[in-house]
Amino acid sequence: MRIKDHTLQLLHQMIGQDKDFRPGQWEAIEAVAVKKQRALVVQRTGWGKSLVYFLATKLLREQGSGPTVLISPLLSLMRNQIEMAAKIGIRAFTINSANKEEWAAIEETLAKDECDLMLISPERLNSEHFIKKILPQISGRIGLFVVDEAHCISDWGHDFRPDYRRIVRLVQMLPKGVPVLGTTATANDRVVKDVQAQFGPGLSVYRGRLARESLRLQNIRLSNQSERLAWLAENLPKFKGSGIIYCLTVADTERVAGWLKQKGFSAEAYHAGDDGNMDRPALEQAFLNNEIKILVATIALGMGFDKPDIEFVIHFQRPGSVVAYYQQVGRAGRAVEKSYGILLSGAEDDEIQNYFIESAFPSTQVFQDILQELEKSEGLSLYEILARVNTSKSMAEKALKILEVDGAVGQTFDKKALYFRTPNLWVPETDRINRVLDLRRSELAQMQTYVDHPDCLMKFLLEALDDPNPVACGRCANCRGRGLPTSVSQELVIEAENFLKNDQIYLGPRKQWPVGLFPDQKRSIPLEYQNAVGRTLCDYGDAGWGKLVQSGKYQEGSFGDELVKASVHVIRNRWQPDPFPAWVTAIPSTRHPNLVPDFALRLAEALQIPFCPVLHRTKEAPEQKTMQNSAMQARNVIGTIGIDEIIPHGPVLLVDDIIDSGWTLTMAGYLLRKNGSGLVYPFALARATARNGNT
Amino acid sequence: MILNPDSQALLLLCSHLALSSSLEYSPLSLRDWNPLAKKLQSLSIRPATLLGLNTEELKELLGIPEEVSERIARLLQRSGSLAIELERLESLGIHVLTRADADYPVRYKQRLKDAAPTILFYAGEKALLGQPGIAVVGSRHLEEAGQVCAEFVGSACGLSGLVLYTGGAKGVDSLSMNAALAARGTAVGVLADSLEKAIRDPQKRAAVSRGDLCLVTPYSPSAPFSVGAAMGRNKLIYTLADFAIVVASDVEKGGTWAGATEALKEKWVPVFVLDYPQMPEGNILLIKKGAFKFPHPFPGSYHQLKTWLESHSADTESEPLQPSLF
Repeated sequence: MRIKDHTLQLLHQMIGQDKDFRPGQWEAIEAVAVKKQRALVVQRTGWGKSLVYFLATKLLREQGSGPTVLISPLLSLMRNQIEMAAKIGIRAFTINSANKEEWAAIEETLAKDECDLMLISPERLNSEHFIKKILPQISGRIGLFVVDEAHCISDWGHDFRPDYRRIVRLVQMLPKGVPVLGTTATANDRVVKDVQAQFGPGLSVYRGRLARESLRLQNIRLSNQSERLAWLAENLPKFKGSGIIYCLTVADTERVAGWLKQKGFSAEAYHAGDDGNMDRPALEQAFLNNEIKILVATIALGMGFDKPDIEFVIHFQRPGSVVAYYQQVGRAGRAVEKSYGILLSGAEDDEIQNYFIESAFPSTQVFQDILQELEKSEGLSLYEILARVNTSKSMAEKALKILEVDGAVGQTFDKKALYFRTPNLWVPETDRINRVLDLRRSELAQMQTYVDHPDCLMKFLLEALDDPNPVACGRCANCRGRGLPTSVSQELVIEAENFLKNDQIYLGPRKQWPVGLFPDQKRSIPLEYQNAVGRTLCDYGDAGWGKLVQSGKYQEGSFGDELVKASVHVIRNRWQPDPFPAWVTAIPSTRHPNLVPDFALRLAEALQIPFCPVLHRTKEAPEQKTMQNSAMQARNVIGTIGIDEIIPHGPVLLVDDIIDSGWTLTMAGYLLRKNGSGLVYPFALARATARNGNT
Repeated sequence: MILNPDSQALLLLCSHLALSSSLEYSPLSLRDWNPLAKKLQSLSIRPATLLGLNTEELKELLGIPEEVSERIARLLQRSGSLAIELERLESLGIHVLTRADADYPVRYKQRLKDAAPTILFYAGEKALLGQPGIAVVGSRHLEEAGQVCAEFVGSACGLSGLVLYTGGAKGVDSLSMNAALAARGTAVGVLADSLEKAIRDPQKRAAVSRGDLCLVTPYSPSAPFSVGAAMGRNKLIYTLADFAIVVASDVEKGGTWAGATEALKEKWVPVFVLDYPQMPEGNILLIKKGAFKFPHPFPGSYHQLKTWLESHSADTESEPLQPSLF
């Protein structure tokens, strides 16, 4: 009892005199800090799991134990929590790739036993520096070992991470008396059992209720994007507080945010696309301060983001699993009385989700191609691998990560980061991968069922998550028999349709050739040979013009006059390139020799400037969309486009139908400029978007 | 990886694994370990018994001074990080053998006794270590006769089922090793520097994966090259083999000279020296010191090499010795 009172005092110091333990918090602290057990805490986000390990650390340090080692994938998000821990005198340090200059000082702190808590990312566990410099300082003295997001160690967890396999081996090798604490917000029975099996016998599980008392759920089916945009515009004014709108793709966040801004809402897109140029911490801060009312986000706004006064979470598209959905919708209503979780779903959801599932793992071919290339060398950089293996950068990174954990590939940092083949044998874990993919498909099916579930929605979610006590909530639209309107005004729908049609999509110029493509040349493309900023009419497959482009290319074999008219409108009224193009030319194709030139000719006539087909294919190249990374794409274009000796001067509009990598336009533009044209303005009917996945 | 507890204790006590160079205590050298091993043996204590003991208990059990027992206790404390480091090495294809392992090469214990390294790191097929075979040594820079000899011995080993033992370096080592592997034979390279780096070489890695090559070193797998290490590993080449052939040696300097004179003195194996009219000065002097002559060109076919070596060294037979336990 005395220890409990003392711990309560510490808790007061941290979060305020009027606070008490939440149910389960003291039990978990007692398990690790007093009984020195191994424990798994399953509690919803915001419950206060960090309090458990901070208070346990404090108690253990007071007993003379060594420092706590906390493994978490979310180091950057823990700044606030570290400040909170400082209130009870916990000195916490982080080792990550961004603070190399502090490492030496941290080593010293450890040597002097002045560090209470060491935060590291799972990736760091395998780094030589950590093993050789940091670990020896704490070895044999680890007071508490904490694994944050412990569901990641399970194949059945929704975001299985290969790095966590290393953590399992480490936990198994820890000396017997070292307490271990796993924490997670989302683990169904199957995941809990798996964690138990891997952490070894004697793991006690502390599991809390997942239900959020303030949350009102509702599902609404509106298949067209324009209808859903209209619904947002019509219903968002009903919310006083702030909220998040989740989308599945980067392009969707930009589009929805654009629409909302046009309709006068305070909304911003938030994602990890755009080459990571977005200042996400600034957006988070502005949202936390309620300077932005609505954040339109991909899952990049992820685990660990904690804003207590979020009033609504609306899904513009349906997430792939109940776990993911519950985690996202659970950001609403942590400290507000009434909050809303609205799931809109549409026709494109399954297509996008299936794409995510199919691209979840690299194919066996990719694994084997990478190994084959590595076997021929002493070591290759990521870019050297991409120049040899036809796969996307993110796929190659995924494959390398798995191969590394499997011991087939090692990494060295002699001069630059190089991957090399180890002598260990490697066989593809097809069964394991298929099992995970099957799981994803059944999770998707469960989500599909949820959308049309006629009874209590909260109860459905709780049952799916193996909540110990799932009961009907009495608050969701199904329980109450009413909710927000499920239909929208036709006027707004038409306006949204027009918005989609007029949505300007910029085509930024490529400024550098891919790494490894021209090893003996400078990478940067000289400014005078770069394209100007161009436009595309739409995203391929979009509800707007996208469908017309698709059927024009693959069914009618010709792009209709409607698309010519729309293009003229975008170019003349919205884009207004200055100086205006003096002539038009087209990207040649051997596969569809007339398709693009025919369209370009009609476009030129409508713009009242001449069409001059000066570019031609010198040989047949595989379709650009089959090329999976920059180096492969660029190589596929080189040498397949030729140009007439004499071409018109003056700025030129360079027309293509669907752009994929942008390398064809970059190469064609380069040739045009070199042969004496003026500015090159690329224009494409559609942009292929599938690869702008869920970042 | 499953380690037997005795090996775990030896690794904790005698290896640099998971030890920061900035720490004030260092692992036990052979000179530190051998008396301790004898003491354990006389008390009938397995090394594994030491795991988990504190300074006081160690002091009492072994009757050793406080500062020694403190050093041992601290070394033994790092089992967690040792496990992580071993895990990393395993994932690179690098394994360990200690004097407490059943698979530790018997020839080292027999021939080197207390000088047998406590710990070996290896990649590839460990069963090759100590199988019948021929060691080839010599400087990196070779005349034509030396090159021909290196390749001849390599091919002969490959074609007659003998293991070729070398230092795994350039020159003589790689010429003979490539010849042995090309003949679908097997080879062992006893490295003086980074094993981690050596197995990145595509050719060596492929042979290691096939189980045709074992690379082994008593030094840390990431150790840089050092002259001392190169000298120290010479005896580890000779003592695995049945015969040694010195292709070319300097006089009174270099690893080849030092290793060959040591081998002649210790009589681990019959030592042959390549003999031809323009042979290096070192070869002449080694023959004067008692090495057998190895003629150039060899007067026979590949298959006759072993019999020839046996019949030309018949008068020397190194006596077997009782090896120590660990």
